[in-house]
Amino acid sequence: MSQIETFYDVMRKQGITRRSFMKYCSLTAAALGLGPAFVPKIAHAMETLPRTPVIWVHGLECTCCSESFIRSAHPLAGDVVLSMISLDYDDTLMAAAGHQAEAALRDTIERYRGNYILAVEGNPPLNEDGMYCIVGGKPFVDQLREAAEHAKAIISWGACASYGCVQAAHPNPTRAVPVHQVITDKPIIRVPGCPPIAEVMTGVITYMLTFDRLPELDRQGRPAMFYGQRIHDKCYRRPHFDAGQFVESWDDDNARRGYCLYKMGCKGPTTYNACSTIRWNEGVSFPIQSGHGCIGCSEDGFWDQGSFYDRVTDLTQFGVEANADQVGMAAAGAVAGGIALHTAISALRSAQKKVQDRPSTAKEEA
Amino acid sequence: MTRQLLVGPFNRVEGDLEVSLTVRDGQVAEARVNSPLFRGFEMMLLGKDPRDALTITPRICGICSVSQSAAAALALADAAGATPTPQGALAAAILHGVENLADHVTHFALFFMPDFARPAYQGRDWHAEAVNRFTAMQGSAARRLVEARARLLHIAGILGGKWPHTLAIQPGGVTKAPDARDRVRIIATLRSFRRALEETIFAAPVEDFAALATLSDLEAWSSGDAGLFLRIARDLGLAGMGPGPGRYLSYGAYPLEGGRASRQGVLTGGVPGPFDPAQVTEDLSHAWMLGETAHPARGRTVPDEDMREAAYSWCKAPRLGGRVVEVGALARQAVDGHPLALVLAAEGGVRARVAARLLEIARTQLWLEDWAQALDPGARFLDPFELPRHGEGVGLVEAARGSLGHWLRIENHRIAGYQIVAPTTWNFSPRDGAGVPGALEAALVGARVGEGEETPLSVQHIVRSFDPCMVCTVH
Repeated sequence: MSQIETFYDVMRKQGITRRSFMKYCSLTAAALGLGPAFVPKIAHAMETLPRTPVIWVHGLECTCCSESFIRSAHPLAGDVVLSMISLDYDDTLMAAAGHQAEAALRDTIERYRGNYILAVEGNPPLNEDGMYCIVGGKPFVDQLREAAEHAKAIISWGACASYGCVQAAHPNPTRAVPVHQVITDKPIIRVPGCPPIAEVMTGVITYMLTFDRLPELDRQGRPAMFYGQRIHDKCYRRPHFDAGQFVESWDDDNARRGYCLYKMGCKGPTTYNACSTIRWNEGVSFPIQSGHGCIGCSEDGFWDQGSFYDRVTDLTQFGVEANADQVGMAAAGAVAGGIALHTAISALRSAQKKVQDRPSTAKEEA
Repeated sequence: MTRQLLVGPFNRVEGDLEVSLTVRDGQVAEARVNSPLFRGFEMMLLGKDPRDALTITPRICGICSVSQSAAAALALADAAGATPTPQGALAAAILHGVENLADHVTHFALFFMPDFARPAYQGRDWHAEAVNRFTAMQGSAARRLVEARARLLHIAGILGGKWPHTLAIQPGGVTKAPDARDRVRIIATLRSFRRALEETIFAAPVEDFAALATLSDLEAWSSGDAGLFLRIARDLGLAGMGPGPGRYLSYGAYPLEGGRASRQGVLTGGVPGPFDPAQVTEDLSHAWMLGETAHPARGRTVPDEDMREAAYSWCKAPRLGGRVVEVGALARQAVDGHPLALVLAAEGGVRARVAARLLEIARTQLWLEDWAQALDPGARFLDPFELPRHGEGVGLVEAARGSLGHWLRIENHRIAGYQIVAPTTWNFSPRDGAGVPGALEAALVGARVGEGEETPLSVQHIVRSFDPCMVCTVH
């Protein structure tokens, strides 16, 4: 292991200053819901622990997860995490090409046997012996099995790897299946969403890299700290739902007033994700804020549940809680996760706010 | 001496791609392009509520999802006989323009330029600068632009809730009615993106690059990363590398109240002509697809599970009036009649494609600034629409990579037919029934391959100059 650098070594090579490094540690602690007391612990871990290598592979997909990832809220967090993982293998962004790239993958597997994390974006199609997704002349499912064999743990990025997503929609022409149906003997952490929120991705990966273990998972294998609550629970339009004030048609007066989108087919009441708290594109907004209902893209089977504009029908005004919880099945860890989430989110949001207020305005005025 | 080369997988392209080459006497004599990824979106859409196309089709692609949603919305609007409200169309154009601009910048900084930082180019007088600016994910320009791009996409956040896979565009407009504060924020965000462009790619006012009119103007441009690219292009002869078919197609970008912001049409050998949608066909002779050559409104998607020998790609071969056309920024700018783009279209190689993309970056920035000023928070942004029980619709838009069309048929309120012809389907198509190669296949013929070169650099440059999006190609 001695030949493997520490995270801090890697960051220094990337030209990241000590000050930025400490800032990153506080941000990470905040994002993960760990108080300020954890900041030195994270810093210590990053200075002394060998960097955990990450191999990032792509199956049947649209690359939206990578796209989301490279746009992390805190540019520093994005930078740091990218520099931590980019050195190994990622076929969309890496510098090497063709056979060199394939060789790099084999080398990484050999070199870090049993020690690396495998991040999977997209999923394997099984029909016709996997011929619908060929990487380097071989079915992706083979590459996945090979890379998984010596992985310490697997991250299933997004709805594709976690559940199947749209390419698994009826009639699922290629028989696209989620990762856990192919790899059954490794710990798998699911980070669903189409795509997942960037901060959730960096939060999960930082936690695993820093503490060398999986974060607390709910019964569906999702990190409880980010998937412990429904969109509905923290939706800023929730008071309108409770007051029975709904948008009745697109861009009506009620829409202008920001009423609840439930009648327009919003799936917020049955969707577990952090969109209404962390939001998207560096905390700017989320679908409900743009006047469109949630489509439930982080829930299993969201692509085949009737129209996205149909109202959620297995839901009554007063039965919401019990019913939605049955749908989500995320009871385990919800309480602990909920508290952690709350801390994490408020800390992260204030951190984001600072970041947004400062550099961007500074630049805009400069 | 003849040898066979199989190049791929290509990284730094969106999705999977494999090119098989016959190399004779140090030159590519024949190329076959294979898109080895198939998901079957057109099959999954059948039987669904037509409105679900707005959610499902964007998920074809994580980098051009707004283009897909704009095309789906237009196809539905066409079927419903609806027109977006003027301000709705404007907001949709801003969303779409932001995505196209972000895509062009990503292509230049993260996908195309890093090839010049390769060790194989050591010793060239521009190599050190290319390494410094564009080494994959570490170069100073690459980092600065990734950051600027993330900030630019705040606009997609403001207008669309989230990006990628934005949901806001609807047949009648957009779901988000921006208020005065949103408008100001959009304007400020565009101003900061302009600054990033004027400090990196152009290192000069955006207007100056947009105003270039001749090849000698272009060649005299020396500032910024655009200048670096032009220097490299001169040294490596990128102008003569990878010529296209010389026929260009554009559906016209950004449908607005008074018509499209850029012209629709076809340019053949420098002569402009009208585009006739009835002339579009998809040929299946070399695709692992079953069926006859058909217009997309009548087309079907039935994968050939035997993967017959005569075929070599999942990609169908679209043709316009039976002929190969090239689509993309070069086609769009040339069809629009921009003087520099017209001379570049006559040149037609790697340099022309990349320079036209830079030109489009400049022009799109200017358009976006005008459109943001024209946003009127008091106006209507979305009108209701009603889909017919039976009907047909076509949605034609210009994605960053070129012409994107959705052809929709509704029967009994359900989708009965849905065909998508994406930009890279045009550019990276396999051969047709007459054996005529697709645009990239033809462009690769003549490319130099050095002795012992297994992943020829010229091939990398030519492939990436088209900015392929393989996940859209086959979908």
